[in-house]
Amino acid sequence: MSATKTSPGTPARRRRSVNNTIAMAVSAVMVFPVYWMVATALKERSDILSAVPKFIPWPISLENFTRALDKPGFWTFVRNSLTVTVSSVVLSLVISLFAAIAIARFRFAGRKAVLTVLVLVQMVPAAAMVIPVYLMLRSVGGLDFLPGLVFTYMTFVLPFTIWTLRGFVDGVPVELEEAALVDGCGRFQMYVRVLLPLLMPGIVATSIFAFVNAWDDYIFAYVIMKSQDNYTLPVWLVSFKTSESVDYGAMIAASTIFSIPVLVFFLLVQRRLVGGMTSGAVKG
Amino acid sequence: MALTEKHRPVRAPDRGRRTGPPGPRRRARRPGMLPWAMLAPALAALLLIQGYPLLRLLTLSTREFGPRSLFTGQSDFIGLDNFTRIFTDADFLAVLLRTVVFTLVCVTLLMVLGFLISHLLMTISPWARVVTTVCLVLVWAMPMVAATLVWQWMFQPQYGVANWLLTQLRVFGDMSVYDWFSHPTQALGLIILLTVWKGLPFVALTLFAARGQISESLYEAARLDGAGTLQMFRHITIPIMRPVLAILTILEVIWSVNSFTPIWVLTQGGPDGATTTLGVYAYITAFSRNEYGSGASVAVVTVVILALFSVAYVRRLSRQGDVV
Repeated sequence: MSATKTSPGTPARRRRSVNNTIAMAVSAVMVFPVYWMVATALKERSDILSAVPKFIPWPISLENFTRALDKPGFWTFVRNSLTVTVSSVVLSLVISLFAAIAIARFRFAGRKAVLTVLVLVQMVPAAAMVIPVYLMLRSVGGLDFLPGLVFTYMTFVLPFTIWTLRGFVDGVPVELEEAALVDGCGRFQMYVRVLLPLLMPGIVATSIFAFVNAWDDYIFAYVIMKSQDNYTLPVWLVSFKTSESVDYGAMIAASTIFSIPVLVFFLLVQRRLVGGMTSGAVKG
Repeated sequence: MALTEKHRPVRAPDRGRRTGPPGPRRRARRPGMLPWAMLAPALAALLLIQGYPLLRLLTLSTREFGPRSLFTGQSDFIGLDNFTRIFTDADFLAVLLRTVVFTLVCVTLLMVLGFLISHLLMTISPWARVVTTVCLVLVWAMPMVAATLVWQWMFQPQYGVANWLLTQLRVFGDMSVYDWFSHPTQALGLIILLTVWKGLPFVALTLFAARGQISESLYEAARLDGAGTLQMFRHITIPIMRPVLAILTILEVIWSVNSFTPIWVLTQGGPDGATTTLGVYAYITAFSRNEYGSGASVAVVTVVILALFSVAYVRRLSRQGDVV
């Protein structure tokens, strides 16, 4: 099955080209909705609402995008989404870095309990937590208030980010830190200058996770944010659908704008994304 | 959200196993209070926004907490009445059954198709592998909200591409104005299709990565012994990948049971409640009917059901030595 052992015309080679064809068919089917989103967004209005769908968006038109961008409040929703997402990512990273270092670098009574709690908390489904989080925020006046959303997102990703970063901290040899300390580096300075740069891959991975969680969340934003000024992009996107006559062109163009950052993000780091999660499981 | 969204990019390279006593690399001196100080912000946040709400959920489920309670803050303790009420409610039992069916179908399709795709990835040329991986990553990266709206558009009765294609096939007759979302089974089918499509890349790529770690020499030896593809699946691939398969299955079960966005956005649980699963039902009970106590009890039942799976998950992790 490996690439080097096939020569033209052999059965193995033929099987491979059959498999390649199957793989291309699977890819085409899988990617079609993504393609259809972008293609629809780029179509002229008259080509969107046509009885026979047009598979190639030609002539290309940016009209749908301008209509989406011109919707009242668009930039407010972008700003809300960015504020909430970026703050929750930064907060959760800082908090989980400290926690991860503590767990990875120190042996202390209760360490095992902390680890177990982290795994268990991860199991609590967010959907079940909507009701009490809503009532709690309600009683402290945190409804319809962006920081309420920030803290919610931040906390929900913490178990995962701590768990992941702990693994990365474990991978950095302690000797490096000790050398820095011997050389007269303060502890904090040592963390910033020595440990942090080495943790970059882990930080990138966890921030993508935290980013997508906050960026794509619908239920909490929908429940917590009641006034339109505080909508995030997902809540606004869905509100397209419930309006009197659905403007599909603008709705899909807006979805495209919303998806592009994540799509690009994932493609850039795809090599790192794939497989890390269970990398150790097979060997064990 | 950690478990509702399907974007868990990476678990750190597996360097963090500590099954034995502390190794020589671990600092030997007594740490004192420093680690607790470093953990304090994380623990405080978790206590406040996970621990407290969880307790609140439990107490809420034993209370009659209606719209008036929202304003007075008063609610009556009614013991397990909420639970006896939902378990004698035909609606809830239908929802429970539907959730089980939905989860079973989604998880089975995800695991089987994911396994087949991961196997396919092993047997194709490098260029085809790159193309397929990129396509899968794009689907994986697609935000759920956007994917759901695209689904809505693709299955739009008059102008959706799906009805046009199905009409062209001439198998189902004229589908040109078929409204998927007004038929119970078909609507649920579309939601399952969306869930499986969106979840497939994660399963396939994770299994592919795990498969890549199995030594090729095992397969070569098996081939020399005359083993066929199916036999190699049965005796090499599946046994070695069992831990990964188990973890993926459990994660997918949790994600499917809690699925909210696709269902809520596509059908709002309709037509006539026919696509309501546990997550949506808890939401509707609490926020649409303003029966927060009763909604909480639905959520508690969900958590308990999932806890059974979580126990399996934690057991699996500790067997692998990930939990110290």
